[in-house]
Amino acid sequence: MRFLDDAPRYLFFTGKGGVGKTSIACASAIRLAEAGRRVLLVSTDPASNVDQVFGVSIGNRVTPVADVPGLSALEIDPQAAAEAYRDKIVGPVKGVLPDTVVAGIEEQLSGACTTEIAAFDEFTELLTGSDLVKGFDHVVFDTAPTGHTIRLLQLPGAWSGFLEKGQGDASCLGPLAGLEKQKERYRAAVDALASPDATRLVLVARAQSGSLDEVARTHDELAEIGLQRQYLVVNGRMPEAETRGDDLARGILERERAALEAMAPVLQALPRDDIELKPFNLVGLDRLRQLFGTPESATAAVPGDDMAGEDTAQLEAPSLSELVDDIATDGKGLVMLMGKGGVGKTTLAAAVAVSLARRGFPVHLTTSDPAAHLSETLSDEVENLTVSRIDPTVETERYREQVLQSKGKDMNEEDRALLEEDLRSPCTEEIAVFQAFSRVIREAGRKFVVMDTAPTGHTLLLLDATGAYHREIVRQMGDTGTHYTTPMMQLQDPQRTKMLLVTLAETTPVLEARDLQEDLRRAGIEPWAWVVNNSIAAAGAASGLLRDRARAERPQIRAVAEEHAARYAVVPLLRDEPVGAERLLALTEITASQATA
Amino acid sequence: MTAIRVYDPSMCCNTGVCGADVDQRLVDFAADVRWAQDRGADVERMNLAQQPTAFAENPKVRAFLEEHGEGGLPLILVDGEAAISGRYPDRAELAHLAGIPAPEEVSGSPQAGDGCCGPARDTGCC
Repeated sequence: MRFLDDAPRYLFFTGKGGVGKTSIACASAIRLAEAGRRVLLVSTDPASNVDQVFGVSIGNRVTPVADVPGLSALEIDPQAAAEAYRDKIVGPVKGVLPDTVVAGIEEQLSGACTTEIAAFDEFTELLTGSDLVKGFDHVVFDTAPTGHTIRLLQLPGAWSGFLEKGQGDASCLGPLAGLEKQKERYRAAVDALASPDATRLVLVARAQSGSLDEVARTHDELAEIGLQRQYLVVNGRMPEAETRGDDLARGILERERAALEAMAPVLQALPRDDIELKPFNLVGLDRLRQLFGTPESATAAVPGDDMAGEDTAQLEAPSLSELVDDIATDGKGLVMLMGKGGVGKTTLAAAVAVSLARRGFPVHLTTSDPAAHLSETLSDEVENLTVSRIDPTVETERYREQVLQSKGKDMNEEDRALLEEDLRSPCTEEIAVFQAFSRVIREAGRKFVVMDTAPTGHTLLLLDATGAYHREIVRQMGDTGTHYTTPMMQLQDPQRTKMLLVTLAETTPVLEARDLQEDLRRAGIEPWAWVVNNSIAAAGAASGLLRDRARAERPQIRAVAEEHAARYAVVPLLRDEPVGAERLLALTEITASQATA
Repeated sequence: MTAIRVYDPSMCCNTGVCGADVDQRLVDFAADVRWAQDRGADVERMNLAQQPTAFAENPKVRAFLEEHGEGGLPLILVDGEAAISGRYPDRAELAHLAGIPAPEEVSGSPQAGDGCCGPARDTGCC
């Protein structure tokens, strides 16, 4: 493994949920410890079973792992850290200020930024050579701070304004003021992060274009900050040997190769390791040791017996087509697909739109798909279907420009830099895109509008709490006293809006979708259905490896069906890229010939 | 010295850039406060999301919130007495409240009819 050669003190693994960061971080820590180094593994993954993996209870303190000499582990829960911060701020005023006011404050402090900053606060001690990390040669993190956080902390304005005086305009730094560490600490932590001698960043991706695009963005962002020494790991590759006599496996391999050939030049230039898809779940020391091994030895040593008792009969699950039947009975309305990046929202939005249009309904599909390759030709191909596209980059840039122009003029250099950085937060993009979408939402009173994105509950609550939308709409309607509906009210009404949560049949993506669902519920929105995308169990496979993976999907699909979803559908993984109307329609069916696993 | 205390609604920041629409009045007010402070005025802002205890500790502010809720903010106290609520003063008015010389020209932008105090009269804003 190249990314472990001459490893520096700090190793960060970064990538989307479900790509295998935690497993790779665990396996790396074991590898380094067994080479005689003293290693601290730091996990922030809520889905990580570091406990289970090492057979000891770890939690939020440095705990030696008895079975691996030299290795200790520490679990950090950023959600809990953010919650502790919220309690500290809100606790003293509970019961003193009106409940609605207290609820509003809590919402302000429930965003992704708060969690991100709270996690960074936990990292600072580990990055600044405190007693906690004394005696360790390596500290291995299964996640990394975002470029946005680091850039904010590098700005002089962040220090002179917000953190020193405890007040100022830096929205995203709120939690740090509450956490009250000395600024020297934060600065030292940022310096350590940006130092190539101390820190190595390992980008973890799957061999899929979405996943690779994502790490390319992360690469650029963090390289700009100074984290130049980056490595790439492509996880879960289809082994060549598995593709003999299995069309699906062959198709996957070909798609992987095409994605890797097409990846950004900056990624091509990085030192790279490929890790093959394993037939087993990565639980237990022996298996983690084999993660970096050859597929032959791994398979031979540990056959895919985890799920030996699982049934191998055809997957019995509703298809997307059945969900579309239900949606179609309303004749019109808004359909929003929501989910973390890389789960296939855009593809499924197109499939739902084509499927509705084929049933004879007028449909407007609107996507934020940056490549636009999927939707480009659809409107010519399918009757009743119009397609439009919103470019998130353009929308965000326009919003930023608008803000900077209107307010930058009265600001000094430092404040302006801080404002610019605040405008690079993920919230800004979400708001800008949602504003653009809300223009289209109005059409949903007459026809079907299908969107491949949706705002989070947090954003909706903030927008609604500030009343900005309310005012905006009153302004647009002229002050006529007409009855009106805000976008939030429309999204809360299941007759008008159906929210579909998209996920994959894997542990982390299912947990992430569950969190999104909780977040929407806070805003009074109940997701109408869940869609499990790219299912091998629903596709059918001959290869032994894929059959093992298909069996591993079943507990996840069961969890969706029985614990999380009001209704659900499963979408098969296709041999070919789902481009064009016919292949999109194929996604909406689970045919007997497919599901023979 | 006249003490001006501004109790802002929950905002991710004093300029409210995270809202669906940037409120020009908020943007200008942030600049006006800085301007007044530079001239020695005693102006402090409290953000509900960041310093809620400051709201809870003041009986006048607490009573105001009980009656009007967060939607009634901002509330501006001058020497402890409620002076303005539901809107932000412009630079000239702020100078007057603070007892400092008026600005030579009226700040940046909006006059009545724009921004917060515009057509949204019946929304509790202004």
